[in-house]
Amino acid sequence: MKMRKYIEVAKVYFKTQFAWRADVLFNMIFTISRILFAYLLWRMVFSGKEVVSGFTFHGMLSYYIVSSFLSQLEMSGGISGEICQRIRNGAFSKYMILPVSMEGYFVAMEAGTVLFYLAFDLIAAFLWIFIFRIEFAFVTDGAVLLCAFCLILLGLFFMVQFAYYLGILTLKYQGIETFLMIKNNLMALATGTIVPLALFPEAVVRAMRALPFYYVTYLPSMLLTGKCREEAVVGIGIMTVWCLVMQILIRRTWAKYSRKYDGVGI
Amino acid sequence: MKTIKKYYRVLRELVKLRFQNLMVFRLDFFGPFLVDGSLFLVQLLAFRAVYGNVEAVGSWGSGEMILYIGTFSLLNAVSMTVCFFGLIGIPGKILSGEMDLYLTKPVSPLFRLTFEKMNPGSVPLVAMSLCIIAYGARKSGISIRGENLCAYLFWLAVMTILYYNMEVLIRSMSFYILSNARLDQLEEACLDLCMKLPGIAFYGIYKVIFYIFLPYGIMATLPVQSLIGEMTWKGVAFGIAVAAAFSLLTYVVWTGGIRRYNSASS
Repeated sequence: MKMRKYIEVAKVYFKTQFAWRADVLFNMIFTISRILFAYLLWRMVFSGKEVVSGFTFHGMLSYYIVSSFLSQLEMSGGISGEICQRIRNGAFSKYMILPVSMEGYFVAMEAGTVLFYLAFDLIAAFLWIFIFRIEFAFVTDGAVLLCAFCLILLGLFFMVQFAYYLGILTLKYQGIETFLMIKNNLMALATGTIVPLALFPEAVVRAMRALPFYYVTYLPSMLLTGKCREEAVVGIGIMTVWCLVMQILIRRTWAKYSRKYDGVGI
Repeated sequence: MKTIKKYYRVLRELVKLRFQNLMVFRLDFFGPFLVDGSLFLVQLLAFRAVYGNVEAVGSWGSGEMILYIGTFSLLNAVSMTVCFFGLIGIPGKILSGEMDLYLTKPVSPLFRLTFEKMNPGSVPLVAMSLCIIAYGARKSGISIRGENLCAYLFWLAVMTILYYNMEVLIRSMSFYILSNARLDQLEEACLDLCMKLPGIAFYGIYKVIFYIFLPYGIMATLPVQSLIGEMTWKGVAFGIAVAAAFSLLTYVVWTGGIRRYNSASS
């Protein structure tokens, strides 16, 4: 019964996306810049080498196809901006008066949006595989596939939590826009969407493994392209712990700062 | 002489007004520096990871690549400091009819739009770029002599003009079309690609696109090639021809747009 409210929210956001058809199409087309970057850069690198850090040329491009697909699905960035903007102009009350958990509302919103984009991002991925003639490497082991699927869900959930947490920090810091832009730049590196994290020195990779961002895009991409199988189960465990930690952090931050909101803007 | 004096006085007033405006929003002062600074640092880290696994990408070692990133960062920093924040407002001003206020003043509207929102907070970004360039030059082991330094500075000046032309050209299209969103998206995708990927990586159709039609691929490549001694006379002629062609195109599109402008109904 409780879930029905959230399913309705997800449905509304799914339908809302139809109003932005051109955005969907162009977002899909412009994912080519990531694949083109990977194709041209690694084509040059692999011109004198067969294997780089365990990747073949087509293995590397397969990694970029999957990581680009996953990073396109991860659309939580807008949540922080929306919360920040509404707190600043006093319109955050819109969410406070809803008869649902606010965080749950944003999770449902993300779910509806992601489900809509899923098909289009898949089409884009297949299109780039075809255009760049990539010998796509994809895992066939059912257990690894299941683990990767769990990690993707946990990663998307964590990123919504993280975005929600950053958004409510506006209650304390008032202006977080600059910080959000810096965060986006750093996230591109930390999630392995610019270059695979495997290229970094071992000590850096070990440190990254303790952070949640390693498991959002990078590890699922590696699993789906047939690498890092041994990290799958541990990854799910670590990501679950991070989700719990983030939930505690959200509750404490909200309890501490929610009274600062007066509904008239900053 | 009289005109130069007049424009100098206008520029001085614009700078004064801008400083007064920035002092109201002090927290945002260094925002662009922090955001773009983090972006180029991420690029450096990513390429450091790549060069940790390979010795050269094409004919360029890590020093040349650092020079490339520093040069692109410098072009971006100069734009951010001088004109970016003024030029991005052009489409909004055309749509809302606010352009009337610029056309009725006894000074060139493009001059005012270019200089009215200078951002001194981006000056540290120029300094940071120069440090990256100095580091790249040292790492690549090139000997800086008067002639290659002059050639580098010449190409920096030419490419700064080309960068500016592209910014004006894309925004001027708002005189002819209803929404500039797709062109902004295209510019963002091209910049995102070319700030990470030097022109030497392009070949075939990609070279035609990013050297001639969307010349972001040559912007930092030609200055670096002139500094490291890879520039040919053919390259010199090509670079100057592209910069001249885009200056002419920007002039035609801008003046045509101004003639076509029909106040708020444009």
